[in-house]
Amino acid sequence: MSDAVLDSAVHHQTFTAIGQSMPRVEDYRLLTGTAKYLDDIEVPHALHATFVRSPYAHARIFRIQTDQAMAVPGVVAVVTGQDLARWTQPARMAPPIEGLFPMEMTTLPIDKVRFDGDPVACVVAADRYTAEDAAELVMVEYEVLPAVTDMFAAAEEGTPLVDETLSSNLVSHQTYAKGNVAGRFAEADVIVEATFSQHRQTHVPMETRGCVAVWDDGRQHLTFYIGTQVPHPMRTTLAARMGLKETQVNVISPDIGGAFGQKIALYREELTVAALARELHRPIRWREDRMENLRAASHAREDFVKTRAAVTKDGRILALHADLFSDFGAYSFFPANYMIRVVAMLLPGPYKIQDYSYEVKVALTNKCPAGPMRAPMAIASWVTEGTIDAVARKLKLDPVEVRRINMLKQDDLPYLTATTELYEDITPRETLDRAVHSFDYHVRRKEQERLRVQGKYRGIGICSVIESTTYGSEFYRKAGISGTGHEAAWVRIEPTGVVNASAGIMGSGQGYETVMTQAVADGLGCNPHDVAIHLGNTLLAPYGMGSRGSRGAVAGVGTTFLAAQQARIKVLAIAAHLLKLRSSKDLQLTDGQVVLETDGQWRPTGLNLRDIAQTAYLNPLALPDGMEPGIEAHVAYDPPAMTYSNSTHICEVEVHLDTGVISVGPYLVVEDAGTMLNPQLVEGQLLGATALGIGGVLFEHVVYDENGQNLTASLMDYLLPTAVETPEIQMIHMGTPNHRTPAGIKGMSEGGVMGAIGAVCNAVSDALSPLGIVVEQQPLSPSYIKSLVKKASKTAR
Amino acid sequence: MNEVPVTLWVNGQTYAVRVSPRKLLSDVIREDIGLTGTHVGCEHGVCGACTVWVDDRPTRSCLMFAIQAEGHAVTTIEALAQHGQLNVLQQALHEEHGLQCGFCTPGIVMTMEAYLHEHPNPTVDDIRDALSGNLCRCTGYQNIVAGVQKAARVFAQNSSGATSAAGNESTHLSEGGREYV
Ligand code: FES
Ligand code: FES
Repeated sequence: MSDAVLDSAVHHQTFTAIGQSMPRVEDYRLLTGTAKYLDDIEVPHALHATFVRSPYAHARIFRIQTDQAMAVPGVVAVVTGQDLARWTQPARMAPPIEGLFPMEMTTLPIDKVRFDGDPVACVVAADRYTAEDAAELVMVEYEVLPAVTDMFAAAEEGTPLVDETLSSNLVSHQTYAKGNVAGRFAEADVIVEATFSQHRQTHVPMETRGCVAVWDDGRQHLTFYIGTQVPHPMRTTLAARMGLKETQVNVISPDIGGAFGQKIALYREELTVAALARELHRPIRWREDRMENLRAASHAREDFVKTRAAVTKDGRILALHADLFSDFGAYSFFPANYMIRVVAMLLPGPYKIQDYSYEVKVALTNKCPAGPMRAPMAIASWVTEGTIDAVARKLKLDPVEVRRINMLKQDDLPYLTATTELYEDITPRETLDRAVHSFDYHVRRKEQERLRVQGKYRGIGICSVIESTTYGSEFYRKAGISGTGHEAAWVRIEPTGVVNASAGIMGSGQGYETVMTQAVADGLGCNPHDVAIHLGNTLLAPYGMGSRGSRGAVAGVGTTFLAAQQARIKVLAIAAHLLKLRSSKDLQLTDGQVVLETDGQWRPTGLNLRDIAQTAYLNPLALPDGMEPGIEAHVAYDPPAMTYSNSTHICEVEVHLDTGVISVGPYLVVEDAGTMLNPQLVEGQLLGATALGIGGVLFEHVVYDENGQNLTASLMDYLLPTAVETPEIQMIHMGTPNHRTPAGIKGMSEGGVMGAIGAVCNAVSDALSPLGIVVEQQPLSPSYIKSLVKKASKTAR
Repeated sequence: MNEVPVTLWVNGQTYAVRVSPRKLLSDVIREDIGLTGTHVGCEHGVCGACTVWVDDRPTRSCLMFAIQAEGHAVTTIEALAQHGQLNVLQQALHEEHGLQCGFCTPGIVMTMEAYLHEHPNPTVDDIRDALSGNLCRCTGYQNIVAGVQKAARVFAQNSSGATSAAGNESTHLSEGGREYV
């Protein structure tokens, strides 16, 4: 792609399709039950796999007896870690990061199991019912070992090792300092400390994990159907672990019933199924049940942060120090410092804090492995904004004032943070002011006072969010993590003038097909009806990094926009040639029609996209000298090191002291995600993310007992928010374009989670402030709230 | 396990299948009859994704054996759109962006379609209550509620309450020739 294309994309200002709330092109199939999710793909003669899982959190495997299971009619194979070790390569996680220890895992455990739900054997049978019956008959003899379930204890000397190749459960440990933190603390009038403890949660996509592996023995080729956010990286990893070339594997992702970060890694069950298909020469499918999903897919968010702020008596923050601790579970599907490091990086938030230091530790425990979940850095905004509120409480200042005193203003931008992140085109002060104003903050404060006299505990919470959205290659290089941030797309105009396009991203509900359609329509200048988007098939889509973080918009759709613009250049060059013009500079393609500017007016030329396509494919001799037939553009684009969106969440809660129940609302989000590709979809993402954040704060909780037994492996125990508990959310958009990205797109879809956690927790602390209560841990369950109230009333007495 | 012959009446058609007596209705609809629009999200009766109608009553097909459905009329999501055209509720959910990944959607459509037949004039709180047995992880429910409200308005306008034909409030999304409002 030429610089000129990027330049024109960045400065492209007039959009027809982008910015419209175009209804989604995906919806028809989803609404009528004709969409194809993984389990809807019919594969003739496929066998069904099911897994035997450890009932213990930590145990040595002595012997696995499979004969009884094998004797069940319909059972084709029962295999264990030993078998898989012959057929597959182990996974090694060893990025060259200081303080991070390398880890390795086999495809299924061989010597010991490390968490309740760890898969120890796989049964393959004619149908799922039979496979599950037989799995019950697989006899595993264990020697139970003491379970490590608490991350702080895990890191102590003498604790049993989760991974015996390491010398400690402390798998990652780093420190960082910028500026003169000690000096600033010495100058401070007050030092304010705060702690934040976030509980373990899990993604719960409504569609659980699953896959279908079809091995073609004649071609020595694997077709692997799997709902994955990252089809190409999945193919690379799968091929490597099976000892195949990437040419021997095709990954096809059908419609995905939600992912939220849980469908990125190649899981051990999936690799087992692929290897078995090759060994047994039979197609094999697997779909986990909900219990397995809650117990053994991937967990997230179990983080602890303690902050110390050096503050002047008028509320100015001079310096900040943070101690971070994270529970990583039993295995490494991602670098152990990967998620918590981003939290540390973001903690200064939208505030001018140049003197900042942190220490971050990550421990292994006998619990389900951790992975990124929609906003892996979710705790960050709560920590930052909770610290600000702690400052306000200590100095008896209004929390809004403390924010204003410290917050970055337009004059401060571009701004290089203490963690060397570059903030540009963000509007934290504007979203804060707008939120405070639109929420009638001061009126509500008075009302709050009045209600308190009547014994009603209402609180207002504010959370300003700086959301890291798109990670460019430069970010990964800086972080020392392998991987890149570029994305690729192609746009092909077919002989009839209709347009096919693809990119490496894969959607799981975001509406990529719709926004990519809009981007192609605007980038090329055609009618959206004539565009079709094809995602998720690695033989069809260009190699891209897939969907993670909030990169879909900038990386995925942005690259597609660039490819469409590239195609337009060729279309117009052909048009100019056919019209016998010297150059195409006065030509434009609008709604599929070639128009010519004369005397400041756009006039039809009589040519349309179909005419140009017909020439390009069917009459190549009429093309300009030396031009290739056909019209196809293939573009790769690497976004800036990082793009940022920002927002302010503000909400009110009422805490019912007698029951401990919290009701949330009204709730307002003022957000700035730059150019909105499709405002209705932006709102949809924001609503979903905010609800997920609120659910996490109030209800969701993965609970382990002291032996490492998972107590929340059904949806009756792991509580998701329903339509009744989820409040109505109001939204205001600012729309400040990013000046470096195609069309000014910034990306969004995780910030809602971050903002909700901070806003709800801060509001509850505010509501309970007359009792001297500050919430320091989530979830804010009725029993936790009641225990705080009880303790407070005891102290008061 | 021994298979038994079962005759099911689904979406107005008869299906004679041989299934094991313990096979769930959801699995038989999906695997033996081949209608995969009914989704399975939990298999323990909590998520509502598997909701179908048994004799016009919303029923969780993961909590029923297929043999129990013999002699009853089963209706699934596939029966709602007619001639490639969404019905009023489906159309309203489409317009209000009441779905993202769509996995919960068939269950929600089956639940709320039946609800609207019996409660033509619901308040927002009523709708939220009725929806509370269906889990959606993507949308935060707000746009689903808006879609159901819109459908209720269209029903009221068409006052006859017939839901099989689409309302005339706006352009329709149909198979093949897509229309953008
Ligand atoms: S699958 Fe039937 S209620 Fe969840
Ligand atoms: S739209 Fe994804 S679960 Fe509801």
